[in-house]
Order: sequence, then structure tokens, then C-alpha cells
Amino acid sequence: MKKLKIVLVLLLVSASFSCKKYLDVIPDNIATIENAFSSRTTAEKYLFTCFMYLPAHANVDNVAFLTGDEFWLPYPQVAQFHFFQSFEDIARDNQSMVDPTLNYWDGSKGGKPMFRGIRDCNIFLENIDKVPGMQEREKKRWIAEVKFLKAYYHFWLLRMYGPIPLIKENIPISATVDGVKVQREPVDACFEYIVQLLDEATPDLPPLIENESSENGRITQPISLSVKALTLVTAASPLFNGNTDMANFRDKDNRQLFSATPSNDKWKAAADAARAAIDACHTAGAKLHVYAPVVNTFDLSDTTITQMSIRNSVTEKWNPEVIWANTNSMAVQIQALSQAFIDPARTSNMGARSMLAPTLKMAELFYTNNGVPINEDETWDYAGRYSVKTVAAEDRFNLQVGYKTASLHINRENRFYADLGFDGSVWYGQGKYNDKQPWFVEGRTNQTAGKRGISLYSITGYWPKKLVNFQNIIEAGDGGPYTIKPYPWPVIRLADVYLLYAEALNESMGPSAEVYKWINLVRTRAGLESVEKSWSEHSRIKDKYLSKDGLRSIIQQERQIELAFEGQRYWDILRWKKGRDEFNGPVKGWDIDQEAPEYYYRIRTLFNKKFSNKDYFWPISENNLIINNKLVQNPGW
Amino acid sequence: MKFHQYFKYGGALRVPLKSFLVPLILTVFITTTAYQASRAESLSDSARNKKIIAKPAGYKKLNTVFKEIRGTVRDSAGVLPGATISLKGNPKIGTVTDPNGKFILEIPNDAVLVVGMIGYLTQEVPTAGKTSVDILLKVDSKALEEVVVVAFGKQKKSDVIGAVSSVNVADLKIPSSNLTTALAGRVAGMIAYQRSGEPGADNADFFIRGVTTFGYKKDPLILLDGVEVDRTTLARLQPDDIASFSIAKDATATSLYGARGANGVVLITTKEGKEGQISISVRMENSVSAPTRNVELADPVTYMRMGNEAVLTRDPLGMLPYSQEKIDNTVPGSGSVMYPSTNWQDALFKDYTINQRINMNASGGGKVARYYLAGTLNQDNGVLKVNGKNNFNNNIDLKSYSLRSNVNINLTKTTEAVVRLSGMFDDYNGPIDGGTGVYNQVMHTNPVLFPAFYEPDEQNVATKHILFGNFGTGGYQNPYANLQRGYKEYSSSKMDAQFELKQDLSFLTEGLSLRGLFNTSRYSFFDVSRGYNPFYYNIGSYDKKDGTYSLIALNETAGTEYLGYTEGRKEVSSTVYMEAAANYNRTFAENHNISSMMVFIMRNNLRGNAGDLQSSLPFRNLGVSGRLTYSYKSKYFAEVNFGYNGSERFFETNRFGFFPSAGIAYSISNEKFWEPVSPYISKLKFRATYGLVGNDAIGNDYDRFFYLSNVDMNYGAIGFGTDNGYWRSGVLVSRYANNNITWEKARKTNIGFEMSLFRNFNIEADYFQEYRTNILMNRAFIPPTMGLSAAVRANVGEASAKGIDGSIDYTQNFSNTFWLKARGNFTYATSQFRVNEEPDYKETYLSKVGNSLSQKWGYIAERLFVDDMEALNSPKQNFGVYGGGDIKFRDVNGDGQVTPLDMVPIGHPTDPEIIYGFGLSAGLKSFDLSCFFQGSARSSFWIDPAATSPFADQTQLLKAYADNYWSEENRNLYALWPRLTPNISWNNAQPSTWFMRNQAFVRLKSVEMGYTLPKRLVEKVKISSARVYMNGLNLMSISNFKLWDVEMGGNGLGYPVQMTLNVGLNVSF
Repeated sequence: MKKLKIVLVLLLVSASFSCKKYLDVIPDNIATIENAFSSRTTAEKYLFTCFMYLPAHANVDNVAFLTGDEFWLPYPQVAQFHFFQSFEDIARDNQSMVDPTLNYWDGSKGGKPMFRGIRDCNIFLENIDKVPGMQEREKKRWIAEVKFLKAYYHFWLLRMYGPIPLIKENIPISATVDGVKVQREPVDACFEYIVQLLDEATPDLPPLIENESSENGRITQPISLSVKALTLVTAASPLFNGNTDMANFRDKDNRQLFSATPSNDKWKAAADAARAAIDACHTAGAKLHVYAPVVNTFDLSDTTITQMSIRNSVTEKWNPEVIWANTNSMAVQIQALSQAFIDPARTSNMGARSMLAPTLKMAELFYTNNGVPINEDETWDYAGRYSVKTVAAEDRFNLQVGYKTASLHINRENRFYADLGFDGSVWYGQGKYNDKQPWFVEGRTNQTAGKRGISLYSITGYWPKKLVNFQNIIEAGDGGPYTIKPYPWPVIRLADVYLLYAEALNESMGPSAEVYKWINLVRTRAGLESVEKSWSEHSRIKDKYLSKDGLRSIIQQERQIELAFEGQRYWDILRWKKGRDEFNGPVKGWDIDQEAPEYYYRIRTLFNKKFSNKDYFWPISENNLIINNKLVQNPGW
Repeated sequence: MKFHQYFKYGGALRVPLKSFLVPLILTVFITTTAYQASRAESLSDSARNKKIIAKPAGYKKLNTVFKEIRGTVRDSAGVLPGATISLKGNPKIGTVTDPNGKFILEIPNDAVLVVGMIGYLTQEVPTAGKTSVDILLKVDSKALEEVVVVAFGKQKKSDVIGAVSSVNVADLKIPSSNLTTALAGRVAGMIAYQRSGEPGADNADFFIRGVTTFGYKKDPLILLDGVEVDRTTLARLQPDDIASFSIAKDATATSLYGARGANGVVLITTKEGKEGQISISVRMENSVSAPTRNVELADPVTYMRMGNEAVLTRDPLGMLPYSQEKIDNTVPGSGSVMYPSTNWQDALFKDYTINQRINMNASGGGKVARYYLAGTLNQDNGVLKVNGKNNFNNNIDLKSYSLRSNVNINLTKTTEAVVRLSGMFDDYNGPIDGGTGVYNQVMHTNPVLFPAFYEPDEQNVATKHILFGNFGTGGYQNPYANLQRGYKEYSSSKMDAQFELKQDLSFLTEGLSLRGLFNTSRYSFFDVSRGYNPFYYNIGSYDKKDGTYSLIALNETAGTEYLGYTEGRKEVSSTVYMEAAANYNRTFAENHNISSMMVFIMRNNLRGNAGDLQSSLPFRNLGVSGRLTYSYKSKYFAEVNFGYNGSERFFETNRFGFFPSAGIAYSISNEKFWEPVSPYISKLKFRATYGLVGNDAIGNDYDRFFYLSNVDMNYGAIGFGTDNGYWRSGVLVSRYANNNITWEKARKTNIGFEMSLFRNFNIEADYFQEYRTNILMNRAFIPPTMGLSAAVRANVGEASAKGIDGSIDYTQNFSNTFWLKARGNFTYATSQFRVNEEPDYKETYLSKVGNSLSQKWGYIAERLFVDDMEALNSPKQNFGVYGGGDIKFRDVNGDGQVTPLDMVPIGHPTDPEIIYGFGLSAGLKSFDLSCFFQGSARSSFWIDPAATSPFADQTQLLKAYADNYWSEENRNLYALWPRLTPNISWNNAQPSTWFMRNQAFVRLKSVEMGYTLPKRLVEKVKISSARVYMNGLNLMSISNFKLWDVEMGGNGLGYPVQMTLNVGLNVSF
């Protein structure tokens, strides 16, 4: 009995001793946030983490591709092939404050969580000094890159939402209920903070990438300065600079969030910044891209070379014109979506999606071959542009000779033929590198590129050839692959910066030779005469380029043409405060269900777009306003 | 679908009947022959009896004097019909009391009568000198003394203070190989429902006294022979092998399980061998099962007509999906290749399927060892069609086997060892996408684009593969191809080995005993899919005259004729459990009964394929629990319990918790003063308990260590360089550390009574209340501008529950050959949010506080808009395009917009608040008949408008929608389906009262007819008893909802709940 008791007691005691240990199952060395800054290698991971929140610029459903009227898609969308939320909700006027599309505030419905990106940047900046054994120069460079990213993320939010909270430092997790409630800051303060961050970052960034094989795509001085130029141009643009529509937009403390009085100094600052950016780009060796055939044994026409220069300034990776390419958003899906079916033997290939369709409005935006708008050209038959014509031999590098197409497609500038595929157009490349025997697009119904099934066709009759690398191949076989040469998405290219400078200069000082110079550089590469010559010789409004307003309109159209289909136009239209002019009205295309050209070239209205003042800014989801009652909603939502 | 409706399907009738009739006819044959035989037997039996009574030859020889004796048998409450009277020493002479409790018998003068009845003490009545007797039978308290399985042991039912309900195991025998589907309505206190009928995926959900947490784990702890098992193990258990099944509901019954008992505990023990000759029992069942109700679809012409309308009504400029020519030429069922109209349901689903179950067990033993051995094979088939061109089976074929061996050995006079070995194995063969996947695909496939497959054209005469249909570029889903293209196999095994040692230490001190238990269980699972890429074809040209056609291959290079292979999920895990207990039971001074128990437990669970470091770490529990009970004269009872245990999930200081509980009971019917009442109320007992229980499974298995931050150092990847050659992965925080997080706490109160009325009504009812605190929640005040990558959490939630559960049963033996039993039970459990982490809403109705935990919020749908003008002039609805014919919601807060701020609590909770069941069984001679109804009330469900939205994503058109929708011509403002859309209308798909339905239903859950073959007959073939029976499951239900089986709720387009007709034979040797 006693023995038993002793045994029992011993058992209990030993059991309770082992208890604590038994439940302690966590070994040492479990990864925690401290591990992220314990060495250079792990800190580098954190640096790369900060890059993760860069918007997927090449994603057609992610930025300004499907939000306006640049592209159109078949509707109703066929979900099993593709479903594009931004098209459905923004282009077709269904944006809502309940669950906004492209919500970069919360990071939902196609938007990345930008505030998380900013928090990660701040964590990096708080901790990078703890990393043992970092080289000072490298550490400074990393800090500068992260500051750039922090600035860019703020800029991205600012452009979408207007006034935003500035997360200069992280709020601790243990903060109180009131401590976590941030307020939206006036837009001027936001721009100022972004510029301040960029100014802090620029000196420590490399002027150019030396180790291209492993660092291309990282942030350089030209990138930082170009983003600064874009930021300041945006700040100076009518949407943010003296926007009287927003004069009554105040926060809960009654602070005015938009200044109602325009300031020309903002344009001056923008011009200076753009100039500085151009200089840095030039120093780094950037120049407008001119195509030099490398894969080619054929004797190419000048027309083809010019058009290839235009196409390849986008689709040739690391061409000298690219200032900032996002290596983490490669153009893959967007190329498949843009590819027309051009090979009659390979029409059932499923790799090419052939859906992304530029609207008729975009086709009409391009200049005539005289370098002026189609409705200003004295010799171009504007009224008869929808009539059907047979293509003459002289157009053989642009169009299929003897084929019937719309007059609209004849006698246009090189960028029109370079950027667009359409019924009767040439599609150079894709295995056929002799420009005397190229592919042609035959887009009427039941033709190679025409509508056959209930998806995978262009709803307007146009394809954005500009986005497709000329070496892509639609391979043989049903459901066979579409071999794509991916390129990192060019977020900023030199032509963009030139035109930003020209715009800022014209706004701040009015027309001058300096303004024409930068526009003309872009026009020359596109095979056009100068602004002065083109307008004075061919336009019905010959002195248009001499007035500030006239030149503004020229620069704006030049910019829309040069940067067409690159995810820029939507933002430009917004900052010019021209949304209500541009995004109201019918979206049109050809009558693609027809076989005969006479019927095919009838205009069909696809949708009646609406745009009101509220649409200049994204709605903040209602839930945020409930959680944080210091936030105010954007007007109209 | 009701059963007779099922047979209405003309052609379908013959086939199921044939397969069903064979066993039926066989059964009827056996039954009738046996009945004939038994009649012959019983006739001769009674003849012999008469003979004995009239001229008892043996006695006459001894010159015995016979007399007629009359008598009445009664108990304290009244007369007893059906009591048996026999002669001591010659049990062949005897009779049974009539409905008035009277009997007449011719007996020798000095005979002693033996009077007995089930549930009463047998009495011997000397009759010398009497011609009439009045016999009072006393209730046999021991026979009534049910033993109930409670935490870590057993208690006499009369001693139990806590709320523990036992299930009559025989009730769980339904023609299904899933035990969980039998639970609903069978036991007071359990809320259960079944949402799918797919073999292998048809587990019912069940909760004890509802759900009182909004944390992670809501369902009860399930213990099989003392060891935790999962729901699937429970599902595979054979009722034949179960000795007891009870659920522990209140604090005293569960607090011994400490931090794991808050959601209630299911306690099951398996049978053990009994001393005696070997007895073998075999049960064989063969059943036909068919969906209770199939979803009805509109015909293809209507589909196309309305498909066009859907486009035009939304966009007059829209492109029509179907040409008039196609609509005009499509004839349903014509089999036209040019104008296909495919009935995908017919192409893929059979009308019925046949399943078999066989279960065998053997038990017996001697003084030293006793054994119980059992084996089961269940064969469940799906209702999917198989194409003969493949030599593999892609219909669902689930074989589940189990083996069990329980051996008890008396090592010494005071030492008993028990070894329990069991294995449960599932072998599954089925479609790659699973049964529910196939059903879903059928619902989302266009009926007029292409046929399931084409007969070979001239070109393809020699083609070996099936020429599956498709359209356009071959990117559509062809469910038939997806079904036929291959098959999936999975196999799961669960092995349990258990060793238990019991040592009686009465030689040290009376009433002391020790018990130790060691259990290890191993689980493994893997699945493999094999399939080819189907070749798709579409019609190329068609010759109207001779009906010939040519096909175009749509994916010549992508299709394959050979099978490919995909490895699926693999799971292995191992659990070791140990338990050591000391028991002390003793009665002092005759009236003071004390029992106490102390138990130490330890559990370790490891997973072989955890996926990440933190979940690969062992899952552990450790604890000490104890119980002390005291009773005085079986009148006053008191009990104190505690559990002190911990788990690895929490920070050091929070690792262990103490969970005490206490209860008292008063058996008033055992008091002396009660005696006058006891003829009417033979038992009355009041019970009350209160205590604390915990729930430590507050996060999922991947999210356990709340006191640690979790950082993924290999999150995503970012690359730079000319060719993106330089890659580094990123860092992601998926949890922020919080040392303070700990288990949920439940304070439970239970008040109940047990009562027996007269002698055949038993009533038991409990009122319960629970307050749960410390529920883990995400902090609601953290805005996204904080930029956190994981939620910040804390134990802030609080909830309460209350309700009643009770049962009533009634037993009456009208005579020796006729008995009747009725029983019913009822559970009503409600829950409430008490503290919920939520923003400070201006609109108070948005707050969850005060509402049921499974309450849904939605918009109040007023009606459909009359036209676009009305829509334009009404408060703006922020869910996408809308206009005339779309649902008009009420702007509850009156801010001129309809946003989530206008959502109000709508309908009943989604978990039923009331579950009930009632049944009747009766036996007459060798026949027995029983039926059981089960019902559910106070719950709502929602038709899923997004999943059923016709045309969107090729979704089929439900006939009910086609018959009743808003159109421009017929602006029915209360139509079932709003204005058509070519794709999902998110306005109409908002959660609202429009698609809300009441889920209340009553179901004829089971009906059974049985016939026990006469002993004399079966004994000739060495069978000790044999019973044939026929039963049906889910034969009929009553509900207002007709689109699909209402129990499936919003899951209605999935694999339907099955009804079953079954024939079975149970033989014992």
C-alpha cells in the first residue's frame, strides 16, 4: 500500500514536470520578421519584396487598357475564355463604391494592396541599418530604390483617388482604435511629399545599370527623374491644378483638399523636372529607337523599317528608348490577346486569343500621311472615309493590293499601319520577314481573322499590332501553342518624356521652337514632317501650332497617337480633365458579322458610354469609411 | 422527388424494378414459405398446449389433481397485459395475460406459478389451495438500470447528473453506409443535416446543442472507445458493432475534456465479447438508390429563345447567340447532329444505382478470454453513366471495408487486459472531377452547342477514340468528355491498435482500481487520377438528304488516346494517445456512495505532409481530470468535475487551463413520501449543473501558434536582368505574434428532469444555457491603410446559446405477440452574438450583437422594378447594371443609395434551430414494422442566383425559371426569376429576401418491415435467428420548396441526396 502510494506520487510529480516541456513543441530558429534583416541575402529578399507591389503594368485588366474607350471586347464576355473585370465594371459604367474594381486601396478586384507595399517599404527603411556588413554604397542605393517605390506607390494612389493619407512612417500594430485612423491629405501636400521622396532617392541611384544581366529593371536616376516629371506634370494638369469642380471637397476637419486656383508655377516646375529627366536619359544613352534588321536577309522598304521602329520601341526588350521596363510584368497575355489570326492554316490555334479590339475612334485618331488629323487634312476625303475602296499597288507595304477596304484605311501615317491590324492590312513578321510577301489580315466573318465562334475575335475589326512582337509565331496544330517573345512592359519610354516636356513647356511658356523640337523628334521617327511644316502645308487650320491652345491640342493628339495602346491614354484624358468630352458617347466598330465588304464597312454602335465628374476618381469602398470615420468619400460616389 | 414520381418516369420504371424485384421476390418467397411453415408450427404448438392443458399426460400418471386457476397481474400502476405465466419446473405449460391483465390456466393443484415480464422482477406464486391469485409485479430496478457511457467511464443512468443522451443503437441502422446520415432527429440535443448524397462525400454535419462559437472548430469532439476520431471514422462505423452511443452536452459531462469539450462530446463504445458459445451474426443488404429529386431543366428551344431574349432585353444592339434558323430546326430528342439538343442529365446520369452491404460479427469466449470480431464490406455506387468504349470505370465505386477485433483477457483474478484492433479502409474509384463536380458541370453546359459525342463519320470509321462534341475552338466544357476521359482512385486506411489494462486494487483498499490505456492510430490517404485529353469534334458539313455528315477535328494535336497521370493529395498522420486513470468507488454506511476518478491523458499527433514548418510540428494535448460523485440513498446526488489541461497552441503562461464543473440531482421519486404518487409517476428526478469548458481549436491546423509571428521567407518571386535571370523570393508576414491569445471559454448551465409516467412513458427534458467568451476574432478597426498583410486578432468575441432538448418514449406490450413503441425527440437551440468585433455602425441593425450566429444579412427585396424609369428614379443600387425587371431593394437607412449599409438580418439562421424526430414501431408475432420521421425547422437558405443564373457561363435554364420570369411582355413584378441577363446580374445576385426560402421540412426518414423467421424452422439449418426486412430511406418529404431536395439548401445543383429502397437479411448462428 505504501509502496503503491509512493509510486503514484512519483508518477504524478514526474508527469507534471514533463508537462511543460511536452507542450513546448516549437524548436528554435523559426522564421520571424527579425530573420529578414539578419544578413545581406535576406535583406535583399526584403528589397525585392518592396518591388512586389508594382502594378502589373502589362496586365490588360490591371491598368488603363480596358478602363476607357481605347479597346473594346465582345459582350457578354465568355467567362471560360476570359473575363475582364475592369472592362465589365469601368468601361461599361458599372463602377461602384460598394466593391470597387481595380481597388488599389484595399488590394482587391484586380488592384494590388498599395498600402501594404508602403508598409513594407517603411519596414525596410526602419530595419536596413540593422543588417550587418552591408557596403555603404549598396545600402544607400537600396534605400534610394525603396524610397522611389514608396513614392511611386503614393503616386499611383494619388492619381487614382486624389487626396490620400500619406504613410510617412508605419503605425505600430498595437496602436489604439483612434491611432490607426488616418486622414486624407490635400493633393498639393501629397504631390509635395512624393517629389520630396524622389528627390531624396535620386542622388543615391545609379545613373545607369552597369550589371545589365542581373539588374536591368532596377531603379535608376533616369527612372526616378522621369517619374518625378510625370508626377509634376500630373500635379500641374487641370485635374489637380485649380480644379474648381473639386473646390468644395473638404475633409472632416473642413480642410480644402483641392486648391481651386490654378498656378502656372506648377507647369514651370514640371518643365524643369522633365528637362532634367531628358538630360539624365540622354546621359545614360537613351535615344529614340530605330529598327536595324538583324534577323533579316531581305531588303526592307523604308516604310517597313519606319513601322518596325515604331513597333519595336515597345516590343523589343531593352531597346534604347526604354527608360523603365517592369521586368515583373512581362507582356505575354496581352500579346496573345492582341494577335489576329493571320495564318489560314492555323486558325484553330488556341494560344492566340485575338480579342483585344481598338475602337473605331482610335483608328480615326491617327494622322493622315500628311501628319495632320484626318478632319483637318485639306486633301484627305474625310466625309467619304467609310466608303469601300480597292487597294492600289502603291500601298503594298501597308495594305493588301486589290483587296477591298475602307477609305479610312488609305493614306494614313505610318503609326496607323504600325499600330493597327485590320481587314486588308499587312501584318509584317510572324515568320514572313520579306515585306514583299507578308501576311494579310482578312477580318470579315468566316475569313481567317474574322468571327467564327462566339469568342476569340475582334469586336471592332481592329487589332493592336503594336503590342505584338513581330517574331511571335502562331504554331501549327489545333490548340497548338502561340510562341511569344515576351518583353518587360515599357512603363516609361523616351518619347513619353519628350512629350511631357513639350507639354509642360507649352503650358508654362507658350509655343516656341523648343516645344516644336521635342514633338518633331517623335514625329520624325514616325516618318512625319515637322509640326510647323505639316500644319502650315496640309491643315485647314494652318496657324494652329502657333497658339498655346492650338499647340496644346496638337501635343495632346500627338501623345495619344504615340503612346496609343500602352496604358497611358486613360490617365492622360483624366488629368487633362477631358473625361466628359472623350468618354461620353457611342463606342463604335465595323459590322464584323458581315462577309461582303459593302456590309462589313458599316458602322455599328457597341455601347453608349457615360462619364460624369465623379468618374475622375476612384471610389473608396464604403467599408473603409465605416472603419475609419475620419475618411471622406470622393465626391459623387 | 417523391418515390411514386420517380417511378412515373416511364422507361426508367422497368429497369430499376427488375433489379429491385429480384431480391424482393426472393424475400417475399422466403417470407411466405417461412410464414406458412410458422403457421403450421404455431398451430401444432397451440394444439400441443391445449393437449397439455387438457390432458397433461405426465401428471396424470402421477395422479395429479388439476384445477383451473384465474388471476390478474398488475404492477403499482395497474394491470399488466402481456405478462407471462408458466409453471415452475415445466415451462411448457403457460400463458400470457390478456389486455386486462387476466389469465386462466389449468394447473396441478400444488403448482407454483412463475410470473414474469420484461422490466419486472420475476415472481414465484404458490397456488396451493387457491383458484384465483392477484399478483403484483415489482419493477426490476436492475433491468431498467441502463448504463451510460460518460467521460472516461460508465455510470448508472440513475446516477448521472449531467446531460447525457444515449441513442438507441438499433435506430442507427439505416440502409446507408454512412452512419452520420442517421443522426438527425435521433437524439435530443443534436442538430444535424446532410447537404450532399455523393458516396464518399455525404457526411452529415452535426453539432451538439447548435453552434455557439464563430471560431474555427464548431463540431463536437468524437471519442471512439475513449480515443478521438474524425467524422469520417464515425461515418464508417457499423451500428452492429456499436455497444453504446451517447452525447455529452453540459458542463459536468464535458469539463473533464477541459479545453476540448466546449462543443460537446460524442462518446461511442464498441461491443465486447460475452462469455458463452460462439455466436455469429450476418447482415446482408441490397439496395437501390436514386436521387430524391432531380433538378428540372427547360427544353432546348426555350433555352435558345430565352437566351436571345436575355441579350436583347439588356442591349438592343447586342448580338444574338442563336439564329432563328437554329431555333426553328432544333427538335429536342431528335438526335440531330446539325442542330444538337443534348440532355446532359440523360447523357451522364443513370436513374438509380444499386448498393450492397454485408456485415459479419462473431463473439463468444470462455472464463479467460472473450472476443468480438467484426468485418464489414460496403459497396456504394454512383449514378454516373459509363461509356463502353473505355475499359475503365468512371462511375463512383466506393468500397469501404472495416475489421474489428476486441479481445478481453482476464490475466489474473483482478487484472483484465483488453486489446482492440480495428482497421477502416476506403477504396474509391470515380470521375476525375468528383460526383459533385460532374453535377456542377452539367448545370453549366450549353444544351444546344454540341452533342455529348458524335457517331463516327466516314473519315473516322477507324478512329479508336470517342468523338466528343465541342464548339468554336474546342474550349468549351463537355461534361460527358470530362466524365469519360479518365478516372480517379483514392484509398484511405485508418488503423487503430489499442491496449487497455484494468487492475482491481480491492485487495489494497476496497473500491480502488487502476486503468491504463494506450492507443495508436495511423492514417494514410492518397489519390491518383488517370485520364486522356479528349478529342473534340464539331460538325463540318451535313447532307440533309441522306443524313451523312463530316466532322472537323478541333484539337487534333492536343488530344491524346493514351492516359496521362496526375498524382493527387497524399496524407499520412500518426496519433499516439495515453490515458491512466485511478477509480475509487465505495459505499459507506450503506447509504453514502462515493465514487472518484483521476485521469491523466497525453496525446500526440504528427502529420507527414504538413506543407509548412509550423503545421509540421506535433499537435499535443496533456491533462489531468478528475471526478468526485456522492449520492445518498439514491435520492440526493452531487458531483464535482474538473479538467486541467493544455495544448501546444498557446504562449507559456496561457498554456494550461482549469475547467471545473459541479452538479446536483434529486430523485424525489425515491423518497418515502412519494409512494402514493408512484403508481402514476414512478420516477421523477431533477438535475442541475454548472461549469466551465474550453475550446482550444480556435485556428485551423495551419494557424496554431498565435504567440509566434509567421513569416514566409519564400513568398512569390521577383526577377531582374536582361532575361529576368536574377530572381529572389519575397517575404510575407502571414501572422503577427500575440502572446495573449488563448482558448475559448464556455460557461454552461443545465437544468433538467427525468420522469416516468405510469410504467410506459419516459420523459426527459433539459433546459440549457451557455455563455461563450474569448472567441478569437479579427480586430475590426484596422483599416487597410495600416498596410498589414495579416489580420490582427484577439479573444474578444462573446456568444451565448440557450434552448431545450428532450425526448419521450412509450412502450406497450399488448400481449405476448403484439408490442408497440413510440418515441420522439426534440431539440431547440438558439444562439446569439453577445460581443462582436465590428465597427460602430450608425445603422444599429447592422450589428450582429443579439442575432443568431448563423444569421444572414441581406437586402429587403420589395419586388421587381416596373421599368427602367422606375429604376432610375429609385435610390441607386450599387451592384452593377440594373433596370426594369431587376430586383428593387429597400433603402433602409434612407440615404438615397442601396449599399451594404442597408443590409438587415433576413430570415431564420442558416443552421436549423429546431431538429426533431418521431417514430413508431410495432410488432405482431414475427412481424415488425417501424417508421421514423425527421424534421427540421427555423432555418433559411438561399437559392444561389449566381450559380443558377441561366446563360451566364453556359449555365442551364431551370424549368422553374423558364416558367416564371419577368419579361418585357409579361412584367410580372413578383416573378421567380427577374429580367433575363446574358451573364450574371450582380444586382439580382445580392443576398436578399428574393431568393430566401424556408428550409423547414418533415421527412419520412425511414420505414422498415421485418419478419423474423420462426425458430423451429431455422433451427433445422442451425440458425438461431433469422430476420428478413425491407426498408426505405428518405422516401418522402414535405416541404414548400420544390426545385431540389430542400435539405441540400443552397447546394441544390450538387450531387443529390439519395432515397434508398433496401432488402436485407440478418442471420445469427
